[in-house]
Amino acid sequence: MMARMKPAMKKPSTWAHYVALLKKDLSQELHTKDMLTSMGLYALLVLVVYGASLAQAGSELDILQMAGGLLWVVILFTSLLGLNRSFSHEKEHGCLEGILLVPMDRSVIFLAKATANLVFLLVVTVVSVPLFFFFFLGQVGAAPSWPLIAVPLLVGCVGIAGVGTMLSTITMNTRGKDVMLAVLFIPLMFPLLWACVSATTAVMCGADAYMETFTTSMALAGGYDVVMILLSWVLYDFVVSA
Amino acid sequence: MANEKTAGEPKVGGRLDAIAPWALAIGALLATIGFVVNFTVAPLVNGATVSEPAVIGGTLVGNKLLLSQKIFYWHMPVAMASFTALVFTAYYSVRFLMTKRYCYDVRAKLATEISLIFVLCTMVTGEMWTRFEWGVWWTWEPRLTTYFILMLMIFGYFILRNAVEDTERRAVYSSVLGILIFIDVPICFMITRLIPSSVHPVIFRTDSGLSPEMLLPLLLSLFGFLLIAFGLYRLRLRTQLMEDSLVRIQDKLED
Repeated sequence: MMARMKPAMKKPSTWAHYVALLKKDLSQELHTKDMLTSMGLYALLVLVVYGASLAQAGSELDILQMAGGLLWVVILFTSLLGLNRSFSHEKEHGCLEGILLVPMDRSVIFLAKATANLVFLLVVTVVSVPLFFFFFLGQVGAAPSWPLIAVPLLVGCVGIAGVGTMLSTITMNTRGKDVMLAVLFIPLMFPLLWACVSATTAVMCGADAYMETFTTSMALAGGYDVVMILLSWVLYDFVVSA
Repeated sequence: MANEKTAGEPKVGGRLDAIAPWALAIGALLATIGFVVNFTVAPLVNGATVSEPAVIGGTLVGNKLLLSQKIFYWHMPVAMASFTALVFTAYYSVRFLMTKRYCYDVRAKLATEISLIFVLCTMVTGEMWTRFEWGVWWTWEPRLTTYFILMLMIFGYFILRNAVEDTERRAVYSSVLGILIFIDVPICFMITRLIPSSVHPVIFRTDSGLSPEMLLPLLLSLFGFLLIAFGLYRLRLRTQLMEDSLVRIQDKLED
């Protein structure tokens, strides 16, 4: 990144800033594997907890009706863990101050950080969803339309990463930041969570007219993503500069 | 961040402050009249304002005279007052981010405080109403849910304010959050139109089914509570500004 700042060089484009910042986060992760191991382990442990909590439910329980909700609980809590840590490196080594010294549009920091968080979250999701199927849906099996869960998973993760990056920037400077992030994040995420659970459950159960529920919920989730991410993007400059 | 720039800031101690106690008194009077008219003039309704009979808690609700519907004349105006206060929170938050003037942060905070009072009133009345009309204390109905998360976000707003030491940072963060909270207000307001199966009826429409005898106490309470909200806000603002200037004077004396 420093090489890009030589005065003799042409002013780098916003895209170059974005790529550089994203590369920084990804290469740091490749070296330490800090986020992926902690998030992946946490997701696995939540699944183990499900094993204990559903053990007494008996064979009467229709696990398919609950599966969408349970899956999203894993994703939500795992993302909360990851988001809490996403700025800890920046803060510890004074990296953020360095980034803020670069004369560039500061909302690029938001886009780069949100993309990095999205990548981590998607990797963990790709690992934990098959695990979830393996542990809990092995005997029951989902409706043939289940591959469509990729759509709510992607839209949901985009929203979580976008809003979560914004909120974790706010909470990294507060007292009791772990709790603070949860207090702000979960109510703000509620509409998206609701829509994604509804869409996921619809395609996993595959009941009559599931496509209608699916499209309505996805329209809601997509609208939420667009509004919230645009707003976060606009407001990020204020937050990160404060 | 007690800055001395005051030019162009909204005036304090002017006409608005002079009418604030009057607004409070008239608001209280209107709300009281609305309350009395509600019990004397407005008729009992069939199945309250539920637009169609619904089976809730195993019983068919919607075809008996319900005294509990009287709470509607309190519940709806209070909810409207809380929304109005949040509109001002968002407005002053935007103004703060545009100008970085502390005076707007104070106003955004106070508007949120006022909305918190009315949100709590709405929740309490709403809970009583759901208990007596639908037979349950709580149900995850769309408007209840969106309003509930609105309340949680307002709690979060104040928790965030208490968790940040630096004054400027606190102002920026809470302004940003104030704007994000505001997203939920139109959602909560419009949700009965988006999901018509909801148990909450659509009130603001031309064929709302409210007779003039019912509309009268409703509007009286509505204006009453809006005036109360305004009066409380101005009085609270004056107190806050006096406290701030007191702190400033004390700091000066200590130096």
